[in-house]
Amino acid sequence: MLETATLWAALCAYALVAALAFAGPMARTSLHRRCATALIAALVLHTLSLGLRWATLGHGPFTTLHEILSSNLWSLSLVLLVACWAVREVRSVVIAAVPVLLVLGTWLLMAHPGAGHLPATYDTPLLYIHTLVGKLYLGLLLVAVALGSVPLWRRTAWGRRRWTGDPDDRRFDQMAHRFAAYALVFDTLMLIVGAVWAQDAWGRYWAWDPLESWAFASWLALAGALHARATLRPPPWHFGLWLAGSFALAFLTFFGVPFISTAPHKGAV
Amino acid sequence: MNLSLLRRRTLAHFGSLRTTLVCLALLAAAVAAGLVGGGVLVPALAVAIGLLALNLMAALVLHPAFRRQLPLLVAHLALLALVVLVAVGRLTALDGRFELTQGLPFDGLIEAKAGPLHHDRLSRLDFRHEGFEIHYAPGRKRGATRNPVTWTDGEGRVQRAVIGDHRPLVLDGYRIYTSSNKGFAPLLTWMPDGGEAVSGAVHLPSFPVHELQQSREWTLPGGQVAWVMLQFDDKLIDPTGPASFRLPDSHRLVLRVGDQRAELAPGGRVDIPGGTLVYERLSTWMGYRVSFDPTLPWLLAASLLAALSLAWHYTQRFVAESPPTPVRPVVPGGRPEMDHA
Repeated sequence: MLETATLWAALCAYALVAALAFAGPMARTSLHRRCATALIAALVLHTLSLGLRWATLGHGPFTTLHEILSSNLWSLSLVLLVACWAVREVRSVVIAAVPVLLVLGTWLLMAHPGAGHLPATYDTPLLYIHTLVGKLYLGLLLVAVALGSVPLWRRTAWGRRRWTGDPDDRRFDQMAHRFAAYALVFDTLMLIVGAVWAQDAWGRYWAWDPLESWAFASWLALAGALHARATLRPPPWHFGLWLAGSFALAFLTFFGVPFISTAPHKGAV
Repeated sequence: MNLSLLRRRTLAHFGSLRTTLVCLALLAAAVAAGLVGGGVLVPALAVAIGLLALNLMAALVLHPAFRRQLPLLVAHLALLALVVLVAVGRLTALDGRFELTQGLPFDGLIEAKAGPLHHDRLSRLDFRHEGFEIHYAPGRKRGATRNPVTWTDGEGRVQRAVIGDHRPLVLDGYRIYTSSNKGFAPLLTWMPDGGEAVSGAVHLPSFPVHELQQSREWTLPGGQVAWVMLQFDDKLIDPTGPASFRLPDSHRLVLRVGDQRAELAPGGRVDIPGGTLVYERLSTWMGYRVSFDPTLPWLLAASLLAALSLAWHYTQRFVAESPPTPVRPVVPGGRPEMDHA
C-alpha cells in the first residue's frame, strides 16, 4: 500500500518536472532550480517505493514489465539529474528528455504491478553489474539525444525562441558526442557482462537470440553514428537524428523485445 | 595511371572510414535479416565481419594518424583479435547435450556440434550424477537446481561437487551445465532366454513440462519394440503452492510388447517372447549441456580491453579538448568542427 502510494507521489513529482520543463527556458535559474528540486523529490519518493517493493518481494526490480519500467524511469531520471548538476548545457535540454520519462511513467501506470518470479539464473552478482552498466548506457544516451536534439529543434521557429541565449549548435553537438561516446563504452560493457552471464547460465556466450540480436543492432547503430560523425562531418542536426535513431532502437531492445519475444533469452531463464 | 598507383588508391578506398560505414551497414543488414528470418545467417555475418576486419587492417596500414592514437589503436586491435578468437573458437569448440540416469556413468552425447579441429576428450570423462533437488514456487516456477555429481580425476580419486543453474562443472576444459530437462527413468533388466542379462533405463519425457505424456517406446536388445507408461495418482508438483521434484509415493509401470500388456510394480517381471523383462525400480534422469571453447578467457580479455581502451581514448580526447568551446550566439544548422569517432 505504502509502495503504491509513494510510487504515485513520485509519478506526480515527475509530472511536475515535465510541467516545469515545458514552462520555459531552463536558462532561467529560478525555473531550473524548481525543476531540479522536483526531480530530486521524485527520485526520493521513487527510491522509497522501489526499496519497499524490494523488501517485500525479496528481490530487486528485475523481472516484470512493471519493474523494468519503474527501475528504468528511476535510473534515467537519476542520470539526467547528475548530468544537469555536472554539465550546464544539460540543464537547458531537460525538456527534450522529459517526453521519454513521461512515456515510461504513463506505461508504468498501465503495467500490471503483480510480483514476478526471480529465475534461479538471476542469483548472481552479474545481474547487478549487467543492470548497472545497462542503465548507465541508456541514461547517457538519453542525455546525448536531448543535447543532440537542440540543433534539430532550432530548425523550427519554436526551437529558435526556446534556445535563444544558449550555446550554439556546435557546442550542443560536441556535448552530445561526449555523452554518446561514453554511452557506447557502457553499451559495450553491457554486452560483455551479458555474454559472461549467458555462458554461465546457459552454456553459450552468444546465440543471436532476438534480444541479443536487437542489443547488437543497437550497439551497431551507436557505433555507426559515432563513425559517421567522424567520417561524413554531418551538420549537428543530422548527428542529433542519428542519436535519436540509436535511442529508439535501444528503447525497443530494453522495453519491447524481452516482453514480446517468446524465443530463447527470456524463455531460457 | 600506373598499376601501383591504382592499387594504392584501391587500398586507400578500402581502408577508409566510409568503407567502415558501409561494412557496418552490411553487418546490421545481416543481423536484421536473421531477425526477420527467425534464424542466424552465418555466411552473411561472416562476410560482413570479414570485410570489417579487412577494412580495419587496411586502415592500420594506410593511416599513420590512426597508429599514433594508442588507445584507439588498441581498441581496434582488440576488436580484430575478437574476430580471430571467435573464428578459432568455432573451429575448436564443442557444443552438445546428453542425458544421464542417476548413478550411471556418462556414456556419450545425444547431440553434438564440434568444430573440425576439436579433439574429443569428453568420452574419457567418468562423470555421474547422484540425484537432484529442484524447488518450485507457486505456479510451478522453477527455483534453484542442486545437482550433486561425482567424477574420477586424473589420479583416480573420486571427486564430488554440487552444480546447477549458473554453476557448471568444469572438467578438462569441458563445461557441464544442468538444463531444465529432467524426468523419471524406469530401470529395467532384460533376461534373454539362454543369454546374459542386460540392464538399462528408459528416459521418460521431461517432467513436469510433459506431465501428461509420461510414456515412451524403445527397442529391446532382442529387437522387439516395447512401450512403457508411468502411472501414478500423486499430484507431484502442485501448482497452487511451493513444491519440490520427487518420485511418486506409489506407481505402476504399464508395459506393452506386441499384443501383450502388463502393469508392473518395482521388482515385477513379465515373460515375453524371447525372454523376461524385469522392472527394477524408478529413478531419475537429468539433461545436461556441455560446451568446450578454449578461447573463452581470451575473448573476455580482448573484449574488456576493447571497451576500456575506448574509454581511455575518449577520456584523453575530451580532456585535451578542454577548456570547452566558448559559447557563441545561436547559429542554427551550423557545421561543427569534427573529431575522430
